[in-house]
Amino acid sequence: MKIASFFLLPIIGFTVGIFFMGLSRRIMARIHWRYGPPLVQPLLDIIKLFHQRSISHGVIFEFGLLLSLAGGIVTLLFIPIGNICALNMSGGLLVVLYLMLLAPFGIALSGGEAANPNVSIGISRKMLLALSYEVPFLLALLAVMVEYNTISIVEIIELQRASSWGIVSLPLSGIALFLILPAMLGIRPFDMVEAPQEIASGPKVEYGGKFLALYTIERAFHEFIVIALFVNLFLGGANNPFTFFIKMLVIFTPFICISAVFPRFRIEQAIRFCWRLPTILALIGLIIASVWR
Amino acid sequence: MDRKAIKKWLKDPEKMGNKYSLWAVYFCTGCGIIEVPPVITSRWDAERFGVIPVATPRQANLFLITGYVSVKTLRAIIRTYEQMREPKYTVGFGSCPINGGMYWDSYNTIKHLDKYIPIDGWIAGCMPRPEAVFIAVTHLWTLIDKGMANAYKKYRKQYKYYRRNQEMALGKLEWPPLYPISKDE
Repeated sequence: MKIASFFLLPIIGFTVGIFFMGLSRRIMARIHWRYGPPLVQPLLDIIKLFHQRSISHGVIFEFGLLLSLAGGIVTLLFIPIGNICALNMSGGLLVVLYLMLLAPFGIALSGGEAANPNVSIGISRKMLLALSYEVPFLLALLAVMVEYNTISIVEIIELQRASSWGIVSLPLSGIALFLILPAMLGIRPFDMVEAPQEIASGPKVEYGGKFLALYTIERAFHEFIVIALFVNLFLGGANNPFTFFIKMLVIFTPFICISAVFPRFRIEQAIRFCWRLPTILALIGLIIASVWR
Repeated sequence: MDRKAIKKWLKDPEKMGNKYSLWAVYFCTGCGIIEVPPVITSRWDAERFGVIPVATPRQANLFLITGYVSVKTLRAIIRTYEQMREPKYTVGFGSCPINGGMYWDSYNTIKHLDKYIPIDGWIAGCMPRPEAVFIAVTHLWTLIDKGMANAYKKYRKQYKYYRRNQEMALGKLEWPPLYPISKDE
């Protein structure tokens, strides 16, 4: 069972991430009063991209992309999905915090080799966005660590099952993390990193063929990790993967509706948003959590 | 997608992938581009055919030449076409790329686009309605199915001819040949 979960988790992550991508395109189309593509359209795109010829810009160009993909897969192994968990060691939350930064760094490394000015602008925006959401993210996770007095995700889930969900015992931190989730996912109000109209789709401008397919898979993993982390820390995890998936869907659907309706922030507006309300809420939540004990 | 398609997918995923996920490059050559916003937005939804616009030629495999081609635009068209990754498909939109259209005696437009880059299919008319784009896409599907949409192979095979025509229209080209040109032809 333990060995099987190592292979099962990336497969689940890939399937659910791709399903969420298809679902977001479909729901967005319905909000725009369109019919929309079939649900499997991202999978068809990936199959096509793997069969296309592509050019590489050098060794680092390939290595950086593989690094970010590997970072995504390794992070996935530390996150329990229902009762499936590959690596449940005591310091899971800290490892996830570090490994989640591997994806933007890998993309930055890979895009830098391509020497395209659009890539440089996209990378700088990506780093600034990461900086802006890391502050409230870290404060919210600190509140969780202080409240449950542990940094193991599995133990946090068990403690939530014993008392109440994290969103009930830590409402302010939960709301703060919920507000910055679109920034972490990189969807519409915060999609200035991949703005096709301004900087020709940013970091992925030089990717084509296989590289773009790997990049899309990495995005799918990232989408899955961020939502799964929220469900684990604030919605009490789940007993089986199916319930877990329903909870993820409930979290993800409002963000699709938001991204279908609202326009894009500029980067300094995004930083202002992230460092104002979510940071203040997370800070108050942290203070309450540490004083209460 | 129906159940019959699954057998086709298992048999030839490359062909089916190319068929159902045509990504068009954003490139506005002439007045025909005014028909493309209704095509890709709510009125006629091109995404249900798998056609979406992408911002860079490296990711695209469908090139819509919309409208007349001036000599200055031809240079950009050739560079964009050569940056696209194979397999790639080209569709001429409107009567101007076919034979010059109403610009047939203009000093600054080229008349027959297929002398400069290979074209898989044409949409005639001035202007074609947006539905014509979908007819072109479904027609391209049948061409891909039969293995007849191979203009990009023609470009590789007859590169000397295309390069000579490009040099005649544009003067000296500042980029090197995409494929090696043999001397003895």
